[in-house]
Amino acid sequence: MDALDIRHVSHWFGDHQVLHDINLQIAAGQIVAIVGPSGCGKSTLFRAILGTHPTKAGEIYADGERIIGPSRRVGIVYQHYTLYEFLTAKQNVAFGLKMDQTSLPFRCFKFFQWQAKRREHERLSAAFLDKVGLHASVEKYPIEMSGGMRQRVAIAQAMIMKPKVLLLDEPFGALDEATRSDLQKMLLHFYQENLAAKRNGEIPPYTIIIVTHELNEAIYVSDRVIGLSQYHQKDFKGSTIVYDAPSPVFHPDDIRDFDRFIHQRDELRKVVFASDDDVNE
Amino acid sequence: MIRQPVSTGTRWILSAIAIGAMFMAYEAISFRQTQKNPKQTVVPGVTSITTGWQKLTTPNKRGETWLVEDVKATYGRLFLGLGLGIGLSIVVGVAMGAYPWIEALLVPPIAFFAKIPPTAMLAVYFVLFGTKLEMFVAMVGFSVFFTLAQSIYQAAKKDVSDDGVHKAYSLGASSGEVIYEVLWKQILPRVIESIRLQIGPAMVFLIAAEYVVGDVGIGYRIRIQSRILNMDVVYIYLILLGASGLAMEWALTRFRRWLCPWFGE
Repeated sequence: MDALDIRHVSHWFGDHQVLHDINLQIAAGQIVAIVGPSGCGKSTLFRAILGTHPTKAGEIYADGERIIGPSRRVGIVYQHYTLYEFLTAKQNVAFGLKMDQTSLPFRCFKFFQWQAKRREHERLSAAFLDKVGLHASVEKYPIEMSGGMRQRVAIAQAMIMKPKVLLLDEPFGALDEATRSDLQKMLLHFYQENLAAKRNGEIPPYTIIIVTHELNEAIYVSDRVIGLSQYHQKDFKGSTIVYDAPSPVFHPDDIRDFDRFIHQRDELRKVVFASDDDVNE
Repeated sequence: MIRQPVSTGTRWILSAIAIGAMFMAYEAISFRQTQKNPKQTVVPGVTSITTGWQKLTTPNKRGETWLVEDVKATYGRLFLGLGLGIGLSIVVGVAMGAYPWIEALLVPPIAFFAKIPPTAMLAVYFVLFGTKLEMFVAMVGFSVFFTLAQSIYQAAKKDVSDDGVHKAYSLGASSGEVIYEVLWKQILPRVIESIRLQIGPAMVFLIAAEYVVGDVGIGYRIRIQSRILNMDVVYIYLILLGASGLAMEWALTRFRRWLCPWFGE
């Protein structure tokens, strides 16, 4: 079964068609990068996958269940972190466990059981933060952390819930180059965990879709690149998938050499970022 | 250059100078008035204010002192009114920030009533609730409700982004949990700050109402005693009002820092 199955999805705002007949199947364990020019509907597609803004036509399934609203099957990491300022790093990561495994009445009326549960959640959360390299910052509030640290917390916050699909919306767009490189390698580590799970006959734990405008990043961190574009055919309205190809898999210890995929990058640029004029010619 | 920092020691010295100057200016005015009229009570000397304290703490026919009667009446009305006004404004403000249909329903009337000065509404409260406790509680409650509900609604709407709300749902939260665990906890320090800022106006309206229609309370006593130029009593009440206002402000600021350490200063 596919982790994500997008069937005939179209969307429009009034007369303006944004998405046209998107069909996409993503298997468990894939890290898929979606690239496309500005205004091609990447965010609209993301919001539809998240379930907050259903599309006008088509259906989306996560792990075989139709998406009709936001749920813990699909996790999200935004460009600007969106951490809860009133929680420490550890509490931010434990937030989903708390929401998923307990209820307001349980926390109010079964206080001691809730405290035991809370300690367990915070232990798991601290372990996950350790995994993303933040063991020294578990008690810090977001305001006390750098952008890179906050984004690691945001990724840990989403991943600890083991969503069937994790959406990363321009996750490294606001970070400096060194931090960006570190976090890209973190994704490569997750991919290695997926490969290890496959070798052991288990379901790979991390299925990730990353939206980025940076082509090198898209090819480097993913094992499959999807190109979305509105410039695919003369006078055609709405974006659709114009590029879908595997990308080279890097090991985190490999040298970060973007020249290894120079041909794919040029091809991607030509197909996806061709302007209206190019198509008309 | 402006905004040069001042050391803590200097800050304390400057504060002491300001208070000392205020005290000496008062004494100088009092001395001058007493020279003109040795029996004057309009600006009594600091030492003769003790006579005012005696008047306030001497039991009356009912066996109670003015001080206890007035403080009980005024602060009872204030806290009851504040409690009801704050409670209602939190429920309404958060609901407006969470549900656009409630926002659409309540923004026009709340914006309208917030613009009417509560003292101008005194006649309405007087007709609806008489002149007893209910009138003062309604006065204080409504005076804070409209402004506070607006600021809580604005905070609930703007302090948490849509992305933050969507993320909470994606982490398994229910709507009730999003409201309590995300919206409420995010806006809590702003709510405490708004309450702190509303205590002053609430006190103004209460004292004004007591001044006009009260038969007991600090506002009533100030009116009666100032008419017979017993300013020693009036000044003690002014000091009490200033000190209690500062104490409430200090307590709320400390409470906010303790409860929301992430919010900073």
